[in-house]
Amino acid sequence: MAINRALELKSQGRQVTLVDLDTVEPFYTLRPLKELLEQMGLTVIGLTPTNSFGLGETGAMLVPAARWALRREGDIILDVGYGVYGAQTLNLVEGADTSTELRVIAVINYSRPMTSTKGRIIEYVKELGRVDALVANTHLGDETTPEVIEKGTQVILECAEELGIPVDYIAVDRKLADKWSPDFGVPVKWITRYMPAAVW
Amino acid sequence: MLKVVDETKKAFLTGNETIAWAALAAGADIMFGYPITPQNEVMHYWTRLAPKYGRGFLQTEDEISAGFTVCGAVQAGKKAFTATAGPGNVLMQEPFGMAEAMRLPLFAIIQQRGGPSSGTVIYSQQEVTLTTFGGNGEGYRVVYSSATHQEIYDYTIKGFNVAWKYRWPTFLLGDGYQAKMREPLEMYNPEEKGIELEPAYPLLGLPGKIGEDREPQHLCNIYSLEEELYDVVMNLSADYERVAPELIEWQEHSCEDADIIILTHGVVSRAADDAVKALRAQGIKAGYFRPITLRPYPTQQLREAIAKSGAKKLLIAESSYGQFERLTKQEIYGETIKIEHLYMPGVGIIDHDIINKVKSVL
Repeated sequence: MAINRALELKSQGRQVTLVDLDTVEPFYTLRPLKELLEQMGLTVIGLTPTNSFGLGETGAMLVPAARWALRREGDIILDVGYGVYGAQTLNLVEGADTSTELRVIAVINYSRPMTSTKGRIIEYVKELGRVDALVANTHLGDETTPEVIEKGTQVILECAEELGIPVDYIAVDRKLADKWSPDFGVPVKWITRYMPAAVW
Repeated sequence: MLKVVDETKKAFLTGNETIAWAALAAGADIMFGYPITPQNEVMHYWTRLAPKYGRGFLQTEDEISAGFTVCGAVQAGKKAFTATAGPGNVLMQEPFGMAEAMRLPLFAIIQQRGGPSSGTVIYSQQEVTLTTFGGNGEGYRVVYSSATHQEIYDYTIKGFNVAWKYRWPTFLLGDGYQAKMREPLEMYNPEEKGIELEPAYPLLGLPGKIGEDREPQHLCNIYSLEEELYDVVMNLSADYERVAPELIEWQEHSCEDADIIILTHGVVSRAADDAVKALRAQGIKAGYFRPITLRPYPTQQLREAIAKSGAKKLLIAESSYGQFERLTKQEIYGETIKIEHLYMPGVGIIDHDIINKVKSVL
């Protein structure tokens, strides 16, 4: 989601920095994709496989530049890890608690068991602390169908209304773009899944 | 008891998250653990979920303690489990050995990471020897090697049942990739699939007076006479060999006319399955064989697959340097099929690696 947003902003001619702050599931970080994303015009603050070679367990640590990321020019996207402990990573970023420009967006997948019911979504979002908006991103990886997205999105929209926070957009795998025309009254963004390339 | 899965449907999870949910669904009472990558999220998710379902968790001071507290809890009648990896798996071998000696029905998840030594947290399949034969002396255990998140869910539920039904320590052997990656699986309440959960039962503090109402409960791991040890080992062996045929599980396809059988376990089997299909499409007669239980090993089934195929070669592919091959060789001693290998310690194996190796040896 963070990569897609960063590339979207970049395509509008903006200066974009993407910051890898995922300490929750560090094997899922941007590390294997950093060079590719830099070739696509993004500035990426994070480790590469090359410069984490030999670091062992410390290879999962943040690069020091991440702490000062909000002082950079242009658009800054902080990619934090899943859940409440992921959100707490913002504590490591200077200015995160005082910045008037920062927006905290929770990406919700109704197919994740922690957010698989209305009650669980509301509980989850409340646990995160500050959340300014939601992105509805219900999917099952390669097994995603329009029906799965429709059901999940409907629930997420109901939760947003109850929580009193907006749903910025609905993110849908670009592979479905030819087959389906969703209409939820909320913008749809077609996204490319980059993270499968980060594992194997 | 609060229903764990509201609705049977596909969900999108990491492997570690899958274990936490499956342990809940399996009726686990309590987890004892000590943090170690790549199993940490089993604990993270369990500690978030357990209080909501009236289950327990204790973080101990190290893995030795985590293993022994599991041993204690199961004797008290709790369905207890742990999860570990790498050097934690080394430390837990002492309590696991105790469980082998005392026939304690514990369940443990091992998410393999790289070695040797302690600081490597990445994927590997380098804990096969340790997990299958890590105890001192000659103890018995059941080891399932999972390949998909659906299997992680299914075999976690099954692992608890097997442990409490047969009273052998039982293991789910995963790895760093399975722990961390996300993929869809169907979550379900076992009872709704007709799976009856084995109840936990106390092994100590039983009712009745010893000698009058019941026989004494011998839970012992200290044998001071050679003849006593002899009896114990012979009895354990006989018990295990009797039930092993009920426990053995394997997967096999395309072996009937195969010129080469590809033998893998765990996550590498996914690559082998793809490779066999691709090779077949190219006119190369490849077969697929995968032990699901690494212990007890499907020895007879592999021998039969070799015999019926008439294959000239067996290719063993593993993300380690020969642990799976050594295990296999001791099980099929005497077979004359030529064994080739693809060792990629610490590195993921994809279908092209296997396809290229097959073409280089045929």
